[in-house]
Amino acid sequence: MLQSLLQQLGAKILEIITETGDFVTVSGRSFISIFKRPFDGRNLLYQLSAVGVNSIPVVVLTSLAVSMVFAVQLSYGFKQFQAEGLAGQVEGLAVVRELAPVITGLMMAGRVGSAMAAELGTMQVTEQIDALECLATDPVQFLFVPRLLASAIMLPLLTGMAIFVGFLGGYVLLVGVQGQSAYVYSQDFYKLVSFRDLVIALTKGLVFGLIIALVGCWRGYRTRGGAEGVGNAPTSSVVTSSLWILVSDFFLTKLLLV
Amino acid sequence: MPVIDVVNLSKAFGKKVVLDGVNLSVEEGESLVVLGGSGSGKTVLLRCVLGLFRPDAGHVAIEGRTVQDLDREQLSEVRKSIGMCFQMAALFDSMSVEENVGFALMRHTRMTLDERAARVAECLNMVGLKDTQKLRPAELSGGMKRRVGFARAIALKPKILLFDEPTTGLDPVMTDVIGKIILDLKAQMGVTSITITHDLKSAFEIADRIAMLFQGKCLAVQKPDDFKANPHPVIQQFLRGDAEGPFLQDPPPPVRERRTLQPNPTP
Repeated sequence: MLQSLLQQLGAKILEIITETGDFVTVSGRSFISIFKRPFDGRNLLYQLSAVGVNSIPVVVLTSLAVSMVFAVQLSYGFKQFQAEGLAGQVEGLAVVRELAPVITGLMMAGRVGSAMAAELGTMQVTEQIDALECLATDPVQFLFVPRLLASAIMLPLLTGMAIFVGFLGGYVLLVGVQGQSAYVYSQDFYKLVSFRDLVIALTKGLVFGLIIALVGCWRGYRTRGGAEGVGNAPTSSVVTSSLWILVSDFFLTKLLLV
Repeated sequence: MPVIDVVNLSKAFGKKVVLDGVNLSVEEGESLVVLGGSGSGKTVLLRCVLGLFRPDAGHVAIEGRTVQDLDREQLSEVRKSIGMCFQMAALFDSMSVEENVGFALMRHTRMTLDERAARVAECLNMVGLKDTQKLRPAELSGGMKRRVGFARAIALKPKILLFDEPTTGLDPVMTDVIGKIILDLKAQMGVTSITITHDLKSAFEIADRIAMLFQGKCLAVQKPDDFKANPHPVIQQFLRGDAEGPFLQDPPPPVRERRTLQPNPTP
């Protein structure tokens, strides 16, 4: 009984180590492949559109909703201390430092990471990835690199956009509904925020973009088991990348704020 | 020196031994057909030839270069001289027929757009698919997909062609068409080929030699006439297509009692 339990535990640990090693190896190959020729510019443009342009509505809506809800909470909370004037400042700090990059990252993990896992997973089970190999094309270079670059470029831009939309969301609530002065809100939003905070937010966007693309592509690339495998790949990709986004957010915040 | 040399090749997945010391060699311009039941390791053999699987023991050499000793760049160079036709075609479904066939040309040659378009049209003509460049894989029938797969495989003018069950799931007429296309390609391009098939008619048409895989081992590699006359019970059962005999690894299906219809007894 105990021996069997230990065997199962050992097998699970070995599996985790093997998977981690494989992920690191494939990720390393992806970064090296960025500098290899031929460079597929057309594919990159397509991915920039798929990852970035097509995600704008989702990012706008979520950022607007979250910033408005947060403004309501701040307004209500500070009212208890007769300090409603602080709501705009805290809104700015929260949106720039945390809400915009994390909400954008999580939404993109769901929208883009899952799509990458499903697409590559389908290609894997229908032998299209083997066909790439047979046509003397490295699948990591052909499939991973455009997605990785597109995510690394687009996530910081989308994060920047989410910050602006967050400003508008707070504006609608605090100025439009709560009746604060538009001038005061506009000044307050950026009062506690420094240029370094913006750099931190965009850096988080970049790191989250890399996580989303690498995890999504890797999960798809390693899909096994037909339709069931293709079904599991996006789920697994979203869970894994969301988890890593939250974990890395903590460490990035600790590291970059020092 | 053989173009393809398979030496003592063994491959297992977990406890299941799929290939067990297989030896095969294919000379330049020769067409080898590999027969065998489902799960006998035929596709695994092709994947080892292409370097998609790493053998547990033994090796595959292409023109004297051992496949598993090559790094990724060297393997890519070897693969440029091999055209692989997949069982279900494996066309890139996000691309048109033209982009599929021209994929390797775009990646590995400096052809202009016009030169590439001309070569794609030439390849599609060779497989009897004129003016299909703009179609998407989803708009093609099974037979057409296989032929586009052939066109994609021959685009770089490879020295070696590998066919993985090219006729499986096709109607008899299309099976014959595919068989004739393989013969035409062989005649026009003079390629060395390995074809895996279950279709005995096209196998005997295509083959210079026939190999038979059974339980991971190569039972025979012979010229078609000698293969037909081979007395090995597994080979004879496979050629006859009988359910009873040593071929099935699992017990054969139960023999149902033959019941003859008796007229109802008159009361």
